[in-house]
Amino acid sequence: MQALIISDKEYQTEAFHQLNQLVNSFLIRKGFSLTETQIDRRDPAFCMGCFGCWVKKPGECVIDDKMGQINQIFMNSELTLYLSPVVFGQFSANIKNTLDRWIPNILPFFETRPDGSTMHPARYSSYPKQIIIGYGEELSDDETSLFLDITMKHRRKVEVLLYQGDDMEITETLSEIELRKVGVNL
Amino acid sequence: MNLETKRIVLVNSSPKLTEESTSGLLNNLAAKQIKTAGLEIYRINVRQSLFQGKTENDFEAMLDADAMVLTFPLYVFCLPGILMRFLQDYYTFWLKQQDRVKNARVYAIVNCGFPEARINLEAVRVIQCFSRKINSIFRFGVMIGGGGMLQGAKDTPFMRKTFSQLENAFQLTMDDILNCGQAVMDNIMITMNFPKKLYFFMGNRGWYSTAKKNGLKRKDLYRKPYFQENVNL
Repeated sequence: MQALIISDKEYQTEAFHQLNQLVNSFLIRKGFSLTETQIDRRDPAFCMGCFGCWVKKPGECVIDDKMGQINQIFMNSELTLYLSPVVFGQFSANIKNTLDRWIPNILPFFETRPDGSTMHPARYSSYPKQIIIGYGEELSDDETSLFLDITMKHRRKVEVLLYQGDDMEITETLSEIELRKVGVNL
Repeated sequence: MNLETKRIVLVNSSPKLTEESTSGLLNNLAAKQIKTAGLEIYRINVRQSLFQGKTENDFEAMLDADAMVLTFPLYVFCLPGILMRFLQDYYTFWLKQQDRVKNARVYAIVNCGFPEARINLEAVRVIQCFSRKINSIFRFGVMIGGGGMLQGAKDTPFMRKTFSQLENAFQLTMDDILNCGQAVMDNIMITMNFPKKLYFFMGNRGWYSTAKKNGLKRKDLYRKPYFQENVNL
């Protein structure tokens, strides 16, 4: 079983190292083989909003950089973990960049979900389970609730956790999540 | 403070390289009203700022601004990575210049391709959170649904109502800046005056048509390049 861990090279704080170690140990105990990638400020490049991944080279970004390999590993993993600093209540710039450049993996069209909201349909029949763990020091209630809302209000199969030094809480929560591929309900 | 000296920084945060963006169009509309109101305007294009070595001048302008208007497209339900980079870098700059803080007023204009304007709310909250970090005063956001139509159908009769709503929203923003508004303001939601089903139909047809122009067949849009059988890890 393959798991991909995406983290931010710019925020290598003590909390990050502790969290990364915790997550690594947990997944290895669960029998995963791990691929780790750290995102820097210049690599990969920013999405340029061209939609080439939908209408020029469907399913692949037209920018030839590290992100192509990340998306390939992403689609062939059982599980992807994003370890993201919480910045202004959102993902950091580097982590957000990988999320922006994830869109080749979905289709351009519109569909209406059961709750009436709009989403792009899935390109593939299954996706890795995605878990986002936000970390940071002295985060306000506004920042933490916003970080949860950004994903939980709009995505259906993505889990969001917050790490503020409580190892036990993260381990227990991860233990309760089914760590395997999910279907098309993005 | 003398009204004429008020300085507005307009930030266009579209990640696009060259083609005209919806954020650019919205900024142009806002700029027109800022000029009519006789205010000073400083324009920033985030991509150009970051990649053409303009950040220092632009950050100085932001530091001296009476108001900042941040315009951007919604990317995966929040701010595009390129705008986060710009704001993170500005925050680092700001931390070293806190003695010069001017407590600017901050406004967000967010447009999304989906028809529902309300999905922009979390992005507006991010700008609110950023404003608090830099000791600025967040006022309100303008949340636009179906933003893709602003460019494509801007000259059609059914878009007149939308453009009128946009003008009103920008006028409200100018008035708030000029009058140093204190009252709590709700975010403004603007949706296209267009049936959702027809919007989907036209949007979906647009993808097929653009793909065809690129020499692709309809079925090519559904390619699965990373399908397990195609790759070796």
